[in-house]
Amino acid sequence: MGYDLHFGWTGAIGKVVLGATRADGGTRKISYPIGGETTLPLLFKDPLSPTPLVALEICDNPEYWSPIIRNFCGDLVDTVDEWAKTAETVYGADLVRLYLTSTRQRNFSDIASVGKTLEAVLSATALPLIIEGSNEPGIDSEVFLKCGETAQGEKLLLGTAESGRYRSIAAAALAYNHSLIAQSPIDVNLAKQLNILLREIGVQRDHIMIDPYTGTLGYGFEYSYSAMERIRFSALKGDTDLAMPIICSAIDSLTIKEVREAEPALQDEMAVRWEFYTGIAAAAAGAEIICVRHPKTVGVLKNAFASMKSGAGFSEGK
Amino acid sequence: MALKALDIYKLLPKKNCKECGDPTCLTFAMKLAGGKADVDLCPYLDDQAKSVLGATTRPPIRLIKIGVGERSFAVGEEFVLYRHDKTFNHPPGILFKVSDTQEPEEITAVTIRVRDESFTRVGTDLRFNGIAIENASGSADAFARAVTTVEESADLPLVLISKNTEALNAALVQVGSYQPLIHAATKENFRELCALAKKHSCPLVIKAHDLDDLTGLAKDCVTEGVKKLVMDISPQSPGDFITTSTALRQLAITRQSPDLGYPVFLDATHPHLKDAAIALGIVKYASVIITPPLSPASAKAALTLRQNIYTDPQKPIQMNPGLYRVGTPGKDAPVLLTVNFSLTFFTLEGYLESTRIPCFMLIVDTEGLSVLTAVAAGKLNETLVRDSIRKFDVEHEVSHKTLIIPGYSAPLSGRIEEATGWKVMVGPRDAAEIGEFLHEEWKKHES
Repeated sequence: MGYDLHFGWTGAIGKVVLGATRADGGTRKISYPIGGETTLPLLFKDPLSPTPLVALEICDNPEYWSPIIRNFCGDLVDTVDEWAKTAETVYGADLVRLYLTSTRQRNFSDIASVGKTLEAVLSATALPLIIEGSNEPGIDSEVFLKCGETAQGEKLLLGTAESGRYRSIAAAALAYNHSLIAQSPIDVNLAKQLNILLREIGVQRDHIMIDPYTGTLGYGFEYSYSAMERIRFSALKGDTDLAMPIICSAIDSLTIKEVREAEPALQDEMAVRWEFYTGIAAAAAGAEIICVRHPKTVGVLKNAFASMKSGAGFSEGK
Repeated sequence: MALKALDIYKLLPKKNCKECGDPTCLTFAMKLAGGKADVDLCPYLDDQAKSVLGATTRPPIRLIKIGVGERSFAVGEEFVLYRHDKTFNHPPGILFKVSDTQEPEEITAVTIRVRDESFTRVGTDLRFNGIAIENASGSADAFARAVTTVEESADLPLVLISKNTEALNAALVQVGSYQPLIHAATKENFRELCALAKKHSCPLVIKAHDLDDLTGLAKDCVTEGVKKLVMDISPQSPGDFITTSTALRQLAITRQSPDLGYPVFLDATHPHLKDAAIALGIVKYASVIITPPLSPASAKAALTLRQNIYTDPQKPIQMNPGLYRVGTPGKDAPVLLTVNFSLTFFTLEGYLESTRIPCFMLIVDTEGLSVLTAVAAGKLNETLVRDSIRKFDVEHEVSHKTLIIPGYSAPLSGRIEEATGWKVMVGPRDAAEIGEFLHEEWKKHES
């Protein structure tokens, strides 16, 4: 039947490039052009849609991380570069998202250590990186500049800019040619507003990814789901201030009651399924990068995305 | 082309007989104009009037009921492509699949699980919906026996799956009056299956590989007198499912292809892709989903996703205002005030439970607004707090007069103290920090 999967859209999602290979002046093994869609997510006819990417989130101070991950990974979580390496070699993630949780300690001032951590992670894994800087406005500027400088040429994705604090991160992204994450609280208009603020201080559209904030399944996910759909819909209708790819991280997944209080024998499985269902639904709403914390979620999500186009025997249940 | 209510009214009998379920012909006409009623509900329309009204007045996707009794469910009657455009109306039924080659004990165990298992979130019981029975044996006797086994344990909606008309017939002799969904009519067998569906007045799945064939098959079945249809687009992959079901939904709701205006069936029994298929089915327009019995983790995640996506985005889910207990609080237990937005309630309740400090939650009626919006809109104010303390008799439940309010309502603390005579402590903005707050600030306050 002659049906049109473009629905008369006039806009397209812009592309953001993450990771630079040697040919481009970096040291990553791959570079991802993210975005570029011209219709709704996951319509694989022509193929119209790219496959979403999966990022494994790790941190350099596991005190601030769910105990579920320490139980699963063991002492690995105390050595951030080894942890980053397993994301690539053992779990098969597309990207590593490093949270510099060490900077969240009270009166943190050892900026040089941030550079060392990042250097170690850059040499431990060849995957493109997403770096989450400090949570403290007082040290933002130094932390982000240190990250930007240390990974110059690698085309990082730096996080996270919000409407109240985006200048430090934008300055680091502009100075060292990285991209950044613009996060707004589950609202299409606030997402647009922040993108305009960023543009006004010189951040180009092709250096911004939208994070609409993802409440996990059962904890506001429906609001995030619709925010993503509205952002994508507006972009396809031609609103260039929203035509950026989307990154989704349901960071509450491992701390909610259903997962936290699951029987010990079921806890990993509960964490994985919770992240998985949230991630698949977010991809259907338009997210191009799905971030997860349980290493086992990476493989199941990647398998699902890989078999989107060819699930052999799918309709026969075989 | 849509007709106006008055144009439709002219074609109706104007008897006000109420047999359609509406009080007058005019109100029925208004429903028809809004696509909210089916013209077949009027017993007095002649064929010519029906053909004029026909597909332009019924809901763009028909409402189909599966099963009878308390656990029966209806699907379809959807109007939008995005839930934010209005809302999705009827959540998909998710049914566990068994086969007639399994031992009767196994079949009974799955049936009892679906009958009894439920999981409560946001004040609602979430359940799976029924049992799909597959005629894997090919034998009509074995199929009828398996169907009887299911029927003996529970009155659940059923899907009967067989390629063999004899087997379907044998099963329908047992359970036909319970309106199971029959799977599936194809180009080859639709006449026989339509005869069966008509005889038992059961809904029927039609199955074809592309939308042209489905359109043709739907027309053929309607000609045979079967209008309760469900569509199996037999996708080749999860991506193919989304692509085809999105196209189908679009063609149906815009009434470009009225013959495609039926709910969609999804077989999610693929061993490695069932979770992906279920999740995608829920968000992208499946109405009947069959799957092997799910693990406890997948079961909770799937039911929660379905609840989220089918929540009406026009109404925040609300809790009943009142005084709620966490654990078994005594007279000296802390009282925490918050709003009746259910997400706020359940998030806070979860964190309070894990502090292991018994306490009271005083839930006030902000019409489902969150703390931040309720403060901004003036819905959360000192009068509401004072009246709620009286109404729920908080002064008799505790021996102190200290109220913990949410961090975002800090600007109200002075006015609440004046209006109520209670001492106010400002709690954290983020519910995740409530444990630390109670262990430190509340303990300090007590001593």
